[in-house]
Amino acid sequence: MHEIKAEIAANVWQVVVEEGQMVAEGDEICILESMKMEIPVITEVPGVVRELHVAPEQTVQEGDLIALIDES
Amino acid sequence: MSDPRHDWRPLVGDLAERRARALEMGGADRVARQRELGKLTVRERLDLLLDPGTWVEYALLADHMDAGLGDRYLAADGAITGIGEIDGRPVAVAAYDFTVMAGSMGGVGESKIARLRAHALSQRMPFVWLLDSAGARIQSTSGSTFAGAGALFREQVAMSGVVPMVAAMLGHCAAGTAYIPGLADFVPMVKGTSSMALGGRHLVKAAVGEDVTEEEMGGSAVHTKISGCADLEVADDAECLRIVRQYLSFFPQHNGLQPPRRATSDPADRRTEELYDIVPTAPRRAYDMRKVVTAIVDDGDVLWMKPEWAKNLVTALARIDGQPVGVVANQPMVLGGALDVNAADKAARFVWLCDAFNVPLVFLHDVPGFIVGSAVEKQGIIRHGAKMLFAVSEATVPKISVILRKSYGAGYFVMNGLAYEADYIVAWPTAEIALMGPDGAVNIIHRRVLEAIEDEEERKAKRLELAEEIRANIDPYIAAGHAQLDDVIDPAETRAAIARGLRVSADKRVDRPARKHGVLPV
Repeated sequence: MHEIKAEIAANVWQVVVEEGQMVAEGDEICILESMKMEIPVITEVPGVVRELHVAPEQTVQEGDLIALIDES
Repeated sequence: MSDPRHDWRPLVGDLAERRARALEMGGADRVARQRELGKLTVRERLDLLLDPGTWVEYALLADHMDAGLGDRYLAADGAITGIGEIDGRPVAVAAYDFTVMAGSMGGVGESKIARLRAHALSQRMPFVWLLDSAGARIQSTSGSTFAGAGALFREQVAMSGVVPMVAAMLGHCAAGTAYIPGLADFVPMVKGTSSMALGGRHLVKAAVGEDVTEEEMGGSAVHTKISGCADLEVADDAECLRIVRQYLSFFPQHNGLQPPRRATSDPADRRTEELYDIVPTAPRRAYDMRKVVTAIVDDGDVLWMKPEWAKNLVTALARIDGQPVGVVANQPMVLGGALDVNAADKAARFVWLCDAFNVPLVFLHDVPGFIVGSAVEKQGIIRHGAKMLFAVSEATVPKISVILRKSYGAGYFVMNGLAYEADYIVAWPTAEIALMGPDGAVNIIHRRVLEAIEDEEERKAKRLELAEEIRANIDPYIAAGHAQLDDVIDPAETRAAIARGLRVSADKRVDRPARKHGVLPV
Protein backbone atom coordinates (compact mmCIF):
# COMPACT_ATOMS: atom_id res chain seq x y z
CA MET A 1 0.00 0.00 0.00
CA HIS A 2 1.43 3.35 -1.04
CA GLU A 3 0.68 6.24 1.32
CA ILE A 4 0.16 9.74 -0.03
CA LYS A 5 0.65 12.40 2.61
CA ALA A 6 0.25 16.17 2.69
CA GLU A 7 3.58 17.97 2.23
CA ILE A 8 2.23 21.24 3.59
CA ALA A 9 -0.51 22.51 5.90
CA ALA A 10 -3.38 23.37 3.54
CA ASN A 11 -7.10 23.51 2.78
CA VAL A 12 -8.46 20.76 0.58
CA TRP A 13 -9.90 22.50 -2.47
CA GLN A 14 -10.90 19.66 -4.80
CA VAL A 15 -10.80 15.89 -4.61
CA VAL A 16 -10.23 14.60 -8.11
CA VAL A 17 -10.55 10.81 -7.68
CA GLU A 18 -12.96 8.39 -6.01
CA GLU A 19 -12.27 5.31 -3.93
CA GLY A 20 -11.85 2.26 -6.13
CA GLN A 21 -10.68 4.29 -9.12
CA MET A 22 -7.63 3.22 -11.17
CA VAL A 23 -4.87 5.81 -11.33
CA ALA A 24 -1.67 6.05 -13.35
CA GLU A 25 1.67 7.38 -12.13
CA GLY A 26 1.50 11.18 -12.06
CA ASP A 27 -2.31 11.39 -11.82
CA GLU A 28 -3.83 14.05 -9.58
CA ILE A 29 -5.50 12.75 -6.41
CA CYS A 30 -6.64 16.08 -5.03
CA ILE A 31 -5.78 19.77 -5.17
CA LEU A 32 -4.81 21.55 -2.00
CA GLU A 33 -4.91 25.26 -1.46
CA SER A 34 -2.15 26.84 0.56
CA MET A 35 0.10 29.88 0.35
CA LYS A 36 -2.29 31.42 -2.23
CA MET A 37 -1.61 28.53 -4.62
CA GLU A 38 -3.36 25.49 -5.98
CA ILE A 39 -1.09 22.62 -5.06
CA PRO A 40 -1.80 19.43 -6.98
CA VAL A 41 -1.17 16.21 -5.07
CA ILE A 42 -0.15 13.45 -7.45
CA THR A 43 0.48 9.74 -7.05
CA GLU A 44 3.98 8.52 -7.77
CA VAL A 45 2.73 4.96 -8.29
CA PRO A 46 0.00 3.47 -10.51
CA GLY A 47 -2.78 1.43 -8.88
CA VAL A 48 -6.21 1.57 -7.29
CA VAL A 49 -7.31 4.25 -4.81
CA ARG A 50 -8.13 2.12 -1.74
CA GLU A 51 -8.85 4.83 0.80
CA LEU A 52 -9.43 8.57 0.60
CA HIS A 53 -8.98 10.50 3.81
CA VAL A 54 -9.83 14.00 2.65
CA ALA A 55 -12.90 15.94 1.51
CA PRO A 56 -13.28 19.47 0.10
CA GLU A 57 -13.06 22.37 2.59
CA GLN A 58 -11.29 20.18 5.13
CA THR A 59 -7.84 21.24 6.37
CA VAL A 60 -4.80 19.01 6.47
CA GLN A 61 -1.55 19.34 8.41
CA GLU A 62 1.88 18.48 7.02
CA GLY A 63 2.23 14.68 7.13
CA ASP A 64 -1.52 13.90 7.26
CA LEU A 65 -2.62 10.89 5.23
CA ILE A 66 -4.48 11.86 2.06
CA ALA A 67 -4.92 8.53 0.28
CA LEU A 68 -3.83 4.92 0.15
CA ILE A 69 -2.97 3.50 -3.27
CA ASP A 70 -2.97 -0.25 -3.86
CA GLU A 71 0.07 -0.39 -6.10
CA SER A 72 -0.35 -2.42 -9.32
CA MET B 1 78.45 -4.58 -29.91
CA SER B 2 77.56 -2.24 -27.08
CA ASP B 3 80.10 -1.45 -24.44
CA PRO B 4 79.17 -3.44 -21.25
CA ARG B 5 80.29 -0.49 -19.12
CA HIS B 6 77.51 1.55 -20.75
CA ASP B 7 74.66 -0.95 -20.80
CA TRP B 8 71.48 0.97 -19.96
CA ARG B 9 69.19 -1.92 -20.80
CA PRO B 10 68.87 -3.43 -17.29
CA LEU B 11 68.26 0.02 -15.84
CA VAL B 12 65.56 1.14 -18.23
CA GLY B 13 64.15 -2.39 -18.23
CA ASP B 14 63.82 -2.30 -14.45
CA LEU B 15 62.13 1.10 -14.63
CA ALA B 16 59.70 -0.15 -17.27
CA GLU B 17 58.85 -3.16 -15.08
CA ARG B 18 58.20 -0.96 -12.06
CA ARG B 19 55.90 1.28 -14.07
CA ALA B 20 54.07 -1.68 -15.57
CA ARG B 21 53.58 -3.20 -12.14
CA ALA B 22 52.09 0.06 -10.82
CA LEU B 23 49.68 0.19 -13.75
CA GLU B 24 48.41 -3.29 -12.85
CA MET B 25 46.82 -1.62 -9.83
CA GLY B 26 45.74 -4.15 -7.16
CA GLY B 27 46.28 -7.13 -9.48
CA ALA B 28 44.12 -9.07 -11.93
CA ASP B 29 41.77 -10.57 -9.30
CA ARG B 30 40.94 -7.29 -7.64
CA VAL B 31 40.52 -5.55 -11.00
CA ALA B 32 38.11 -8.31 -12.06
CA ARG B 33 36.20 -7.84 -8.79
CA GLN B 34 36.00 -4.07 -9.44
CA ARG B 35 34.41 -4.76 -12.84
CA GLU B 36 31.99 -7.32 -11.34
CA LEU B 37 30.73 -4.57 -9.05
CA GLY B 38 29.85 -2.55 -12.17
CA LYS B 39 32.68 -0.09 -11.60
CA LEU B 40 35.46 1.04 -13.93
CA THR B 41 39.09 0.87 -12.84
CA VAL B 42 40.79 4.04 -11.74
CA ARG B 43 42.81 4.13 -14.99
CA GLU B 44 39.69 3.79 -17.14
CA ARG B 45 38.08 6.59 -15.17
CA LEU B 46 41.00 8.93 -15.87
CA ASP B 47 40.76 8.11 -19.59
CA LEU B 48 37.08 9.08 -19.65
CA LEU B 49 37.50 12.22 -17.54
CA LEU B 50 40.43 13.80 -19.37
CA ASP B 51 41.31 14.93 -22.89
CA PRO B 52 43.34 12.12 -24.56
CA GLY B 53 47.09 12.28 -24.09
CA THR B 54 47.08 15.09 -21.51
CA TRP B 55 47.66 13.13 -18.28
CA VAL B 56 50.82 13.92 -16.31
CA GLU B 57 51.06 11.57 -13.37
CA TYR B 58 52.81 12.40 -10.12
CA ALA B 59 54.39 9.60 -8.05
CA LEU B 60 53.21 6.57 -9.99
CA LEU B 61 56.07 4.73 -8.30
CA ALA B 62 54.85 5.38 -4.76
CA ASP B 63 54.29 2.48 -2.35
CA HIS B 64 53.08 2.32 1.25
CA MET B 65 56.60 2.41 2.82
CA ASP B 66 55.03 1.16 6.07
CA ALA B 67 57.04 -1.48 7.94
CA GLY B 68 53.85 -2.65 9.61
CA LEU B 69 52.42 -3.75 6.25
CA GLY B 70 55.44 -5.96 5.54
CA ASP B 71 56.68 -6.55 2.02
CA ARG B 72 53.31 -6.37 0.25
CA TYR B 73 53.22 -3.96 -2.66
CA LEU B 74 50.54 -1.25 -2.87
CA ALA B 75 50.53 0.26 -6.36
CA ALA B 76 50.84 4.08 -6.17
CA ASP B 77 49.81 3.57 -2.52
CA GLY B 78 46.21 3.38 -3.73
CA ALA B 79 45.97 7.07 -4.60
CA ILE B 80 46.56 8.20 -8.18
CA THR B 81 47.52 11.86 -8.53
CA GLY B 82 48.30 14.09 -11.47
CA ILE B 83 47.25 16.87 -13.78
CA GLY B 84 45.35 16.42 -17.03
CA GLU B 85 43.17 18.60 -19.22
CA ILE B 86 39.43 19.02 -19.67
CA ASP B 87 38.46 21.01 -22.77
CA GLY B 88 42.09 22.10 -23.01
CA ARG B 89 42.31 23.48 -19.45
CA PRO B 90 44.43 21.85 -16.71
CA VAL B 91 42.71 20.08 -13.82
CA ALA B 92 44.30 18.38 -10.80
CA VAL B 93 42.92 14.89 -10.19
CA ALA B 94 43.23 12.66 -7.11
CA ALA B 95 41.73 9.24 -7.70
CA TYR B 96 41.47 6.54 -5.04
CA ASP B 97 42.05 3.02 -6.33
CA PHE B 98 39.64 0.58 -4.65
CA THR B 99 41.63 -2.40 -5.96
CA VAL B 100 44.52 -1.39 -3.70
CA MET B 101 43.54 -2.11 -0.08
CA ALA B 102 39.98 -0.86 -0.71
CA GLY B 103 41.30 2.57 -1.69
CA SER B 104 42.18 3.19 1.96
CA MET B 105 43.93 6.47 2.79
CA GLY B 106 47.58 5.63 3.54
CA GLY B 107 50.35 7.95 4.63
CA VAL B 108 52.17 8.08 1.31
CA GLY B 109 48.97 8.38 -0.76
CA GLU B 110 47.76 11.24 1.41
CA SER B 111 51.10 13.06 1.11
CA LYS B 112 50.76 12.73 -2.69
CA ILE B 113 47.30 14.28 -2.55
CA ALA B 114 48.52 17.04 -0.20
CA ARG B 115 51.21 17.93 -2.75
CA LEU B 116 48.59 18.00 -5.49
CA ARG B 117 46.33 20.27 -3.42
CA ALA B 118 49.25 22.67 -3.03
CA HIS B 119 49.84 22.59 -6.80
CA ALA B 120 46.17 23.16 -7.59
CA LEU B 121 46.09 26.16 -5.27
CA SER B 122 49.37 27.78 -6.34
CA GLN B 123 48.81 27.02 -10.02
CA ARG B 124 45.12 27.98 -9.71
CA MET B 125 43.32 25.06 -11.31
CA PRO B 126 40.20 23.04 -10.43
CA PHE B 127 40.60 19.95 -8.22
CA VAL B 128 38.67 16.77 -8.91
CA TRP B 129 38.50 13.82 -6.52
CA LEU B 130 37.42 10.44 -7.88
CA LEU B 131 36.31 8.81 -4.63
CA ASP B 132 36.18 5.05 -4.23
CA SER B 133 37.68 4.53 -0.80
CA ALA B 134 36.86 2.84 2.47
CA GLY B 135 38.38 5.80 4.37
CA ALA B 136 41.40 5.88 6.67
CA ARG B 137 43.84 2.93 6.51
CA ILE B 138 43.15 1.83 10.05
CA GLN B 139 45.95 -0.76 9.95
CA SER B 140 48.42 2.11 9.77
CA THR B 141 46.74 4.87 11.75
CA SER B 142 45.02 3.36 14.76
CA GLY B 143 47.21 4.94 17.44
CA SER B 144 47.37 8.43 18.86
CA THR B 145 49.58 9.70 16.06
CA PHE B 146 46.09 10.63 14.81
CA ALA B 147 46.67 13.78 16.86
CA GLY B 148 48.65 15.17 13.93
CA ALA B 149 46.11 14.27 11.24
CA GLY B 150 43.39 16.31 9.54
CA ALA B 151 45.26 18.87 7.42
CA LEU B 152 43.41 17.65 4.33
CA PHE B 153 40.13 19.24 5.37
CA ARG B 154 41.65 22.53 6.52
CA GLU B 155 43.52 22.78 3.23
CA GLN B 156 40.35 21.98 1.32
CA VAL B 157 38.58 24.82 3.12
CA ALA B 158 41.41 27.15 2.10
CA MET B 159 40.86 26.13 -1.53
CA SER B 160 37.12 26.76 -1.35
CA GLY B 161 36.04 29.63 -3.58
CA VAL B 162 39.55 29.96 -5.03
CA VAL B 163 39.49 26.95 -7.36
CA PRO B 164 36.47 24.82 -8.29
CA MET B 165 36.31 21.52 -6.38
CA VAL B 166 34.44 18.42 -7.53
CA ALA B 167 34.03 15.18 -5.57
CA ALA B 168 32.76 12.39 -7.81
CA MET B 169 31.32 9.53 -5.75
CA LEU B 170 32.25 6.28 -7.48
CA GLY B 171 32.25 3.81 -4.60
CA HIS B 172 31.32 3.31 -0.96
CA CYS B 173 33.05 6.06 0.99
CA ALA B 174 33.15 6.43 4.73
CA ALA B 175 34.45 8.96 7.25
CA GLY B 176 37.48 10.73 5.73
CA THR B 177 36.29 10.28 2.18
CA ALA B 178 32.78 11.44 3.13
CA TYR B 179 33.98 14.82 4.43
CA ILE B 180 35.82 15.50 1.17
CA PRO B 181 32.49 15.72 -0.73
CA GLY B 182 31.07 17.58 2.26
CA LEU B 183 33.52 20.38 1.52
CA ALA B 184 33.46 20.17 -2.29
CA ASP B 185 31.42 22.42 -4.61
CA PHE B 186 29.81 19.70 -6.72
CA VAL B 187 29.03 16.09 -5.82
CA PRO B 188 27.61 13.65 -8.39
CA MET B 189 26.87 10.11 -7.12
CA VAL B 190 26.65 6.88 -9.11
CA LYS B 191 23.40 5.05 -8.40
CA GLY B 192 23.83 1.66 -6.74
CA THR B 193 27.62 1.59 -6.41
CA SER B 194 28.40 4.72 -4.43
CA SER B 195 27.61 5.95 -0.95
CA MET B 196 28.94 8.33 1.65
CA ALA B 197 28.54 8.17 5.40
CA LEU B 198 30.49 9.42 8.40
CA GLY B 199 30.65 5.86 9.68
CA GLY B 200 30.76 2.73 7.51
CA ARG B 201 28.34 -0.16 7.99
CA HIS B 202 30.51 -2.14 10.45
CA LEU B 203 31.37 0.89 12.56
CA VAL B 204 27.68 1.87 12.73
CA LYS B 205 26.72 -1.62 13.88
CA ALA B 206 29.36 -1.52 16.62
CA ALA B 207 28.80 2.09 17.72
CA VAL B 208 25.01 2.50 17.66
CA GLY B 209 23.74 -1.04 17.03
CA GLU B 210 21.99 -0.10 13.77
CA ASP B 211 21.90 -2.73 11.03
CA VAL B 212 21.91 -0.95 7.68
CA THR B 213 23.51 -1.30 4.28
CA GLU B 214 25.76 1.39 2.84
CA GLU B 215 23.06 2.07 0.25
CA GLU B 216 20.30 2.55 2.87
CA MET B 217 22.49 4.78 4.99
CA GLY B 218 24.24 6.97 2.44
CA GLY B 219 23.37 5.88 -1.09
CA SER B 220 22.57 8.26 -3.91
CA ALA B 221 18.83 8.16 -3.15
CA VAL B 222 19.45 9.34 0.43
CA HIS B 223 21.82 12.15 -0.48
CA THR B 224 20.17 13.46 -3.66
CA LYS B 225 16.56 13.25 -2.40
CA ILE B 226 16.57 13.55 1.40
CA SER B 227 19.77 14.98 2.91
CA GLY B 228 20.74 17.36 0.09
CA CYS B 229 24.43 16.46 0.55
CA ALA B 230 24.89 15.45 -3.10
CA ASP B 231 23.92 17.23 -6.31
CA LEU B 232 23.07 14.59 -8.89
CA GLU B 233 22.35 10.88 -9.16
CA VAL B 234 23.95 9.37 -12.28
CA ALA B 235 23.56 5.93 -13.85
CA ASP B 236 27.17 4.77 -14.03
CA ASP B 237 30.84 5.77 -13.90
CA ALA B 238 30.89 6.95 -17.52
CA GLU B 239 27.92 9.30 -17.05
CA CYS B 240 29.44 10.58 -13.82
CA LEU B 241 32.72 11.54 -15.50
CA ARG B 242 30.90 13.14 -18.44
CA ILE B 243 28.87 15.26 -15.99
CA VAL B 244 32.07 16.38 -14.22
CA ARG B 245 33.40 17.64 -17.56
CA GLN B 246 30.10 19.39 -18.27
CA TYR B 247 29.98 20.99 -14.81
CA LEU B 248 33.50 22.42 -15.08
CA SER B 249 32.70 23.91 -18.51
CA PHE B 250 30.61 26.57 -16.71
CA PHE B 251 33.44 27.67 -14.42
CA PRO B 252 36.69 29.62 -14.73
CA GLN B 253 39.96 27.98 -13.67
CA HIS B 254 39.93 30.11 -10.52
CA ASN B 255 38.15 33.03 -8.90
CA GLY B 256 40.41 35.59 -10.61
CA LEU B 257 39.03 34.75 -14.06
CA GLN B 258 35.66 35.07 -15.77
CA PRO B 259 33.80 31.89 -16.73
CA PRO B 260 34.45 30.87 -20.34
CA ARG B 261 31.86 32.02 -22.89
CA ARG B 262 30.81 29.49 -25.49
CA ALA B 263 29.79 30.51 -29.00
CA THR B 264 26.21 29.59 -29.88
CA SER B 265 24.03 29.80 -32.95
CA ASP B 266 21.00 30.42 -30.71
CA PRO B 267 20.21 34.16 -31.17
CA ALA B 268 20.29 36.27 -28.00
CA ASP B 269 17.05 37.99 -29.06
CA ARG B 270 15.19 34.75 -29.92
CA ARG B 271 11.50 35.26 -29.06
CA THR B 272 10.35 32.80 -26.36
CA GLU B 273 6.71 32.54 -27.42
CA GLU B 274 6.40 29.01 -26.02
CA LEU B 275 6.17 30.71 -22.61
CA TYR B 276 2.59 31.77 -23.50
CA ASP B 277 1.64 28.09 -23.41
CA ILE B 278 3.80 27.07 -20.47
CA VAL B 279 2.73 29.73 -17.95
CA PRO B 280 -0.98 30.16 -17.09
CA THR B 281 -2.12 33.74 -16.52
CA ALA B 282 -4.31 32.55 -13.61
CA PRO B 283 -2.01 33.27 -10.66
CA ARG B 284 -3.01 30.25 -8.59
CA ARG B 285 -2.52 27.70 -11.36
CA ALA B 286 0.67 25.57 -11.22
CA TYR B 287 3.10 24.88 -14.08
CA ASP B 288 6.58 23.41 -14.48
CA MET B 289 9.21 26.13 -14.11
CA ARG B 290 11.85 23.81 -15.59
CA LYS B 291 10.16 24.28 -18.96
CA VAL B 292 10.58 28.04 -18.63
CA VAL B 293 14.29 27.67 -17.86
CA THR B 294 14.79 25.31 -20.80
CA ALA B 295 12.97 27.73 -23.12
CA ILE B 296 15.08 30.77 -22.31
CA VAL B 297 18.66 29.38 -22.19
CA ASP B 298 21.01 28.68 -25.10
CA ASP B 299 19.98 25.60 -27.10
CA GLY B 300 17.75 24.38 -24.24
CA ASP B 301 20.94 23.10 -22.61
CA VAL B 302 20.69 22.94 -18.79
CA LEU B 303 22.62 21.24 -15.97
CA TRP B 304 20.12 20.94 -13.09
CA MET B 305 21.68 21.17 -9.63
CA LYS B 306 20.10 19.16 -6.81
CA PRO B 307 17.01 18.50 -9.00
CA GLU B 308 15.53 15.87 -6.68
CA TRP B 309 15.89 17.79 -3.41
CA ALA B 310 13.95 20.90 -2.31
CA LYS B 311 12.07 20.71 -5.58
CA ASN B 312 10.04 23.85 -4.78
CA LEU B 313 13.11 25.80 -5.92
CA VAL B 314 15.03 25.12 -9.13
CA THR B 315 18.78 25.76 -9.42
CA ALA B 316 20.57 25.24 -12.72
CA LEU B 317 23.69 26.05 -14.69
CA ALA B 318 23.15 27.12 -18.28
CA ARG B 319 24.24 29.78 -20.80
CA ILE B 320 22.51 32.80 -22.23
CA ASP B 321 24.11 34.46 -25.26
CA GLY B 322 27.13 32.22 -24.59
CA GLN B 323 27.57 33.54 -21.04
CA PRO B 324 27.47 30.93 -18.24
CA VAL B 325 24.76 31.78 -15.69
CA GLY B 326 23.32 30.33 -12.52
CA VAL B 327 19.52 30.23 -12.58
CA VAL B 328 17.50 30.42 -9.35
CA ALA B 329 13.79 29.89 -9.97
CA ASN B 330 10.69 29.14 -7.93
CA GLN B 331 8.80 25.98 -8.88
CA PRO B 332 5.00 26.52 -8.65
CA MET B 333 4.47 22.80 -9.28
CA VAL B 334 5.87 21.85 -5.87
CA LEU B 335 4.43 23.38 -2.66
CA GLY B 336 3.09 26.15 -4.88
CA GLY B 337 6.67 27.43 -5.16
CA ALA B 338 6.60 28.56 -1.53
CA LEU B 339 10.01 28.65 0.16
CA ASP B 340 10.84 26.32 3.04
CA VAL B 341 14.06 25.59 4.96
CA ASN B 342 15.54 23.25 2.36
CA ALA B 343 14.72 25.54 -0.58
CA ALA B 344 16.41 28.47 1.20
CA ASP B 345 19.41 26.28 2.01
CA LYS B 346 19.68 25.08 -1.59
CA ALA B 347 19.39 28.60 -2.99
CA ALA B 348 21.93 30.12 -0.58
CA ARG B 349 24.52 27.45 -1.33
CA PHE B 350 24.03 27.84 -5.08
CA VAL B 351 24.26 31.64 -4.95
CA TRP B 352 27.50 31.42 -2.94
CA LEU B 353 28.87 28.93 -5.49
CA CYS B 354 28.10 31.14 -8.49
CA ASP B 355 29.25 34.33 -6.80
CA ALA B 356 32.58 32.75 -5.78
CA PHE B 357 33.41 32.03 -9.42
CA ASN B 358 32.00 35.13 -11.13
CA VAL B 359 29.02 33.31 -12.63
CA PRO B 360 26.15 35.85 -13.08
CA LEU B 361 22.79 35.01 -11.50
CA VAL B 362 19.35 34.99 -13.11
CA PHE B 363 16.32 34.93 -10.80
CA LEU B 364 12.91 33.85 -12.07
CA HIS B 365 10.23 34.87 -9.58
CA ASP B 366 6.96 33.06 -9.01
CA VAL B 367 6.84 32.84 -5.27
CA PRO B 368 3.95 33.20 -2.83
CA GLY B 369 6.50 33.77 -0.02
CA PHE B 370 8.03 31.73 2.75
CA ILE B 371 5.82 29.03 4.23
CA VAL B 372 4.44 30.19 7.58
CA GLY B 373 3.24 28.23 10.59
CA SER B 374 4.52 26.34 13.60
CA ALA B 375 5.99 23.44 11.60
CA VAL B 376 8.47 25.63 9.70
CA GLU B 377 9.30 27.78 12.74
CA LYS B 378 10.44 24.62 14.55
CA GLN B 379 12.65 23.84 11.58
CA GLY B 380 14.34 27.24 11.89
CA ILE B 381 12.86 28.94 8.83
CA ILE B 382 14.06 32.31 10.16
CA ARG B 383 17.73 31.37 10.11
CA HIS B 384 17.42 29.48 6.82
CA GLY B 385 15.55 32.39 5.25
CA ALA B 386 18.18 34.74 6.65
CA LYS B 387 20.85 32.60 5.03
CA MET B 388 19.26 33.09 1.62
CA LEU B 389 18.93 36.85 2.27
CA PHE B 390 22.59 36.86 3.28
CA ALA B 391 23.83 35.02 0.20
CA VAL B 392 21.81 37.10 -2.27
CA SER B 393 22.78 40.37 -0.54
CA GLU B 394 26.45 39.40 -0.51
CA ALA B 395 26.66 38.34 -4.15
CA THR B 396 28.48 40.91 -6.28
CA VAL B 397 28.10 39.16 -9.65
CA PRO B 398 25.65 40.61 -12.20
CA LYS B 399 22.14 39.81 -10.92
CA ILE B 400 19.16 39.81 -13.27
CA SER B 401 15.56 39.36 -12.09
CA VAL B 402 12.42 38.51 -14.02
CA ILE B 403 9.10 38.53 -12.15
CA LEU B 404 6.78 36.14 -13.97
CA ARG B 405 3.74 36.20 -11.69
CA LYS B 406 3.75 36.34 -7.90
CA SER B 407 6.55 37.74 -5.79
CA TYR B 408 5.40 38.34 -2.27
CA GLY B 409 7.00 39.49 0.95
CA ALA B 410 10.48 38.30 1.84
CA GLY B 411 10.15 35.94 -1.11
CA TYR B 412 10.60 39.00 -3.36
CA PHE B 413 13.70 40.09 -1.42
CA VAL B 414 15.49 36.72 -1.39
CA MET B 415 14.79 36.33 -5.10
CA ASN B 416 16.86 39.46 -5.70
CA GLY B 417 14.35 42.28 -5.56
CA LEU B 418 15.32 45.78 -6.67
CA ALA B 419 16.92 46.63 -3.30
CA TYR B 420 19.31 43.68 -3.55
CA GLU B 421 21.52 45.36 -6.13
CA ALA B 422 19.58 43.87 -9.02
CA ASP B 423 21.34 45.05 -12.16
CA TYR B 424 18.31 44.67 -14.38
CA ILE B 425 14.85 43.83 -13.09
CA VAL B 426 11.85 43.34 -15.33
CA ALA B 427 8.34 41.95 -14.91
CA TRP B 428 5.72 40.28 -17.02
CA PRO B 429 2.26 41.94 -17.21
CA THR B 430 1.07 39.17 -14.84
CA ALA B 431 3.49 40.21 -12.08
CA GLU B 432 2.14 40.69 -8.56
CA ILE B 433 4.67 42.30 -6.24
CA ALA B 434 3.47 43.13 -2.76
CA LEU B 435 4.12 42.60 0.93
CA MET B 436 1.43 39.93 0.90
CA GLY B 437 -1.42 38.68 -1.28
CA PRO B 438 -4.84 40.35 -1.08
CA ASP B 439 -6.50 37.32 0.51
CA GLY B 440 -4.10 37.44 3.43
CA ALA B 441 -3.91 41.22 3.66
CA VAL B 442 -7.67 41.70 3.82
CA ASN B 443 -7.93 39.76 7.07
CA ILE B 444 -5.32 41.96 8.70
CA ILE B 445 -6.20 45.40 7.30
CA HIS B 446 -9.96 44.98 7.67
CA ARG B 447 -10.12 42.56 10.60
CA ARG B 448 -12.34 44.80 12.76
CA VAL B 449 -14.71 45.63 9.90
CA LEU B 450 -15.09 41.96 9.05
CA GLU B 451 -15.53 40.85 12.67
CA ALA B 452 -18.32 43.35 13.12
CA ILE B 453 -20.41 41.64 10.44
CA GLU B 454 -22.65 39.03 12.09
CA ASP B 455 -23.96 37.21 9.02
CA GLU B 456 -21.41 34.76 7.64
CA GLU B 457 -22.45 35.07 3.98
CA GLU B 458 -22.44 38.85 4.21
CA ARG B 459 -18.97 38.79 5.83
CA LYS B 460 -17.68 36.52 3.07
CA ALA B 461 -19.00 38.88 0.39
CA LYS B 462 -17.47 41.90 2.13
CA ARG B 463 -14.14 40.11 2.44
CA LEU B 464 -14.12 39.40 -1.32
CA GLU B 465 -15.02 42.99 -2.10
CA LEU B 466 -12.29 44.42 0.12
CA ALA B 467 -9.75 41.92 -1.23
CA GLU B 468 -10.53 43.13 -4.75
CA GLU B 469 -9.81 46.71 -3.64
CA ILE B 470 -6.40 45.60 -2.40
CA ARG B 471 -5.82 43.56 -5.54
CA ALA B 472 -6.34 46.67 -7.68
CA ASN B 473 -3.18 48.14 -6.10
CA ILE B 474 -1.12 45.10 -7.03
CA ASP B 475 -0.14 45.87 -10.58
CA PRO B 476 3.28 45.85 -12.26
CA TYR B 477 2.52 49.20 -13.90
CA ILE B 478 2.34 50.80 -10.45
CA ALA B 479 5.86 49.50 -9.68
CA ALA B 480 6.98 50.53 -13.19
CA GLY B 481 5.39 53.96 -12.65
CA HIS B 482 7.58 54.42 -9.58
CA ALA B 483 10.60 53.29 -11.64
CA GLN B 484 10.98 50.31 -9.31
CA LEU B 485 11.04 48.04 -12.34
CA ASP B 486 13.36 48.65 -15.29
CA ASP B 487 10.72 47.45 -17.71
CA VAL B 488 7.53 45.45 -18.13
CA ILE B 489 8.13 42.86 -20.85
CA ASP B 490 6.21 40.53 -23.11
CA PRO B 491 7.01 36.93 -22.01
CA ALA B 492 8.32 36.35 -25.54
CA GLU B 493 11.01 38.98 -24.81
CA THR B 494 12.29 37.16 -21.70
CA ARG B 495 15.45 35.67 -23.21
CA ALA B 496 16.32 38.92 -24.97
CA ALA B 497 15.78 40.93 -21.77
CA ILE B 498 18.05 38.67 -19.71
CA ALA B 499 20.73 38.75 -22.42
CA ARG B 500 20.50 42.55 -22.43
CA GLY B 501 20.81 42.73 -18.64
CA LEU B 502 23.84 40.45 -18.69
CA ARG B 503 25.51 42.46 -21.42
CA VAL B 504 25.19 45.83 -19.72
CA SER B 505 26.29 44.56 -16.29
CA ALA B 506 29.22 42.39 -17.42
CA ASP B 507 31.88 44.63 -15.84
CA LYS B 508 30.02 45.19 -12.58
CA ARG B 509 32.18 46.11 -9.58
CA VAL B 510 30.86 46.39 -6.05
CA ASP B 511 32.94 47.75 -3.17
CA ARG B 512 32.05 46.73 0.35
CA PRO B 513 33.52 47.81 3.68
CA ALA B 514 36.50 45.62 4.61
CA ARG B 515 35.72 42.90 7.11
CA LYS B 516 37.09 39.51 8.00
CA HIS B 517 33.80 37.88 7.09
CA GLY B 518 30.16 38.32 7.91
CA VAL B 519 28.50 36.25 10.60
CA LEU B 520 26.67 33.69 8.53
CA PRO B 521 23.24 32.44 9.51
CA VAL B 522 23.33 28.71 8.68
